[in-house]
Amino acid sequence: MKEKKHIDRLFQEGFKDFEATPKDAIWQNIEAKLNQNKKKRRVIPLWWRYAGIAALFLLLLTIGSLYFNNNNSLPANQIVDTENVFPEKSTIPNKEIISSNNIVVDNNDNKDSNRLSNSQNSIQSTNNNFSNNNISTSSIQSDNQKQILINKNSPSINSPEENSLAKIDQRGSDNVISEMGITDEKTNSNKQDISSIADNKTQENNPLMNSNAKNNSTIEEAMAELKKDDEATNLNKWSVGTHAAPIYFNSLGKGSSLDAQFNENSKSGEVTMSYGVSASYALNKNLSIRSGINKVNLGYNTNNVIVFESIGLSSNSNALKNVDTNNSGENFSLISGENVSNLINEPFIKTSNTSVNQSLGFIEIPLEIEYALINKKFGFNIIGGFSSFILSNNELFSEFNGNRTRIGEATNLNKVSYSANFGLGLNYKITKKLDLNLEPLFKYQINTFNNTSGNFKPYFIGVYTGIGLKF
Amino acid sequence: MGLKQLIENCKINDTQAQGEIYKLFSSKLFSICLKYSRNYAEAEDNLQDAFLIIFKKIEQFKHKGSFEGWLKRITVNTVLQRYRNEKVFEIIPDDFAEDEEIEIDEESVTIDYLLQIIQELPDRYRLVFNLYVLDGYSHKDIASMLDINIGTSKSNLSRARQILKKTIENYNTKRSLQSL
Repeated sequence: MKEKKHIDRLFQEGFKDFEATPKDAIWQNIEAKLNQNKKKRRVIPLWWRYAGIAALFLLLLTIGSLYFNNNNSLPANQIVDTENVFPEKSTIPNKEIISSNNIVVDNNDNKDSNRLSNSQNSIQSTNNNFSNNNISTSSIQSDNQKQILINKNSPSINSPEENSLAKIDQRGSDNVISEMGITDEKTNSNKQDISSIADNKTQENNPLMNSNAKNNSTIEEAMAELKKDDEATNLNKWSVGTHAAPIYFNSLGKGSSLDAQFNENSKSGEVTMSYGVSASYALNKNLSIRSGINKVNLGYNTNNVIVFESIGLSSNSNALKNVDTNNSGENFSLISGENVSNLINEPFIKTSNTSVNQSLGFIEIPLEIEYALINKKFGFNIIGGFSSFILSNNELFSEFNGNRTRIGEATNLNKVSYSANFGLGLNYKITKKLDLNLEPLFKYQINTFNNTSGNFKPYFIGVYTGIGLKF
Repeated sequence: MGLKQLIENCKINDTQAQGEIYKLFSSKLFSICLKYSRNYAEAEDNLQDAFLIIFKKIEQFKHKGSFEGWLKRITVNTVLQRYRNEKVFEIIPDDFAEDEEIEIDEESVTIDYLLQIIQELPDRYRLVFNLYVLDGYSHKDIASMLDINIGTSKSNLSRARQILKKTIENYNTKRSLQSL
């Protein structure tokens, strides 16, 4: 006997108590993925920690600059003047010359007797002999000065290049190791992301089934996009690149790295070049960590300086605390034109003033984190991190009418220094593998100079352009 | 341990509790996956995805309404998500007879066979048939879930029924021929 039956009923009855037990392997897969989720969660706090450090650093920077700016409202020169003007004032009518000499003198802790004799000299001489005066002043002081200089030189003598090279290697490998460590920790996020999107969707549909058609389609689009992105990042976790940048070097506060007498001089940063190679590893879709090695040249001009050769006088004619001229063939003395022009209004002094150009070279090893805010064909990142610098070049030049004469080197540069970096990154994906990058970065230098005058806080800004190749 | 406590433990990523929940519900949810998917392997994938979503979203479950219903909804949505995108290109005449009586001789068809022919339906027909006939959703709900209009849902259902009927009839004919 056959009975007619609606097909719906047939299926409804058939599936009424239908249950099917999945294979055990399914649960094992799920369990493994759930554990991955747990691991992945750890990556996020790690990033927050870096962000926290960056924020803290910014805060300190702000507070620090406010604090130091207030402190330096009284230039050191003024105090010095009042001290020294007193004894001379009583005896000598020509105040201006005396005080000018004192400025040169009192930077060096000479004995009072010395100082007095200097001032006597200057009183007796006329305005026309002014430059002679200076020479004699500095030569008298020089005995004391020389010793200080020698002390300062000793650390820099112990700087063979091999040392620094070894350091580079070490650092390089350290970076690689740390990156590998992160790789291990990091787990593949692909599946997870998909499921998270799926989540979103489910959520949309949950209130059930009242969700409108538009919602669904946009979620689908987003999902499709994310899937695509995931595939791309999965394929291209590593990236290598090369870049070059114009670098502008300057100081945040007034001050001089050379000597206190130049604190008030006008200064100008030079635009120099940096170039190098970098490698980055993508921790996930938005976050990557990168390192590399760069050559950085920095240039900095202190303007309105009077430079004169001191041949024929004592060879120890250096009066600046952070400059060593002994390495050059001739001996030079430097004096700030600001101080001189205070006392003499004669125009020839100003016009004949030169600028002192400090030229520095470093090997830079950055370690930076890049977080993508936009990650499409056109990308937008924020970048933060720090760099280690190894000093490779240190020279001082005088520049006058286009002539460049080496006058020595700075003695107060640390062999290894650091910087805090932050900036923005723009990139354009030419193909899936090839990126064009443009990154304006600000690097605040820490510990570059160990004995600066005034409020000298060096930084540099570079606009790094380059190409990156993903693989 | 009660179900409520299990759910709470799942919320703090207790792997053991997650395993218990899986043991309790995987068979029911897998049956949904089997009905809605194209084949066994895809059903397994869908089940896996559904459970990952369930454990991720479980903290949003506030013990209002049935937990099993919540799990089923997530599972159905997970599967829909996979197949919804795949558009069926079809021309369906508007005057398609909706109320046509589709009756079939009661035969001893096995559940495995029914499952097989459901899985063989084109994606959209399979989804609509499952949602309407086996899970009791209205055409209005189905239309919004699948991003189609109500008329399409109705005609998809009719087509699904006709295909199923024809398939079963052919099967029965073949079987009776063989038994002769």
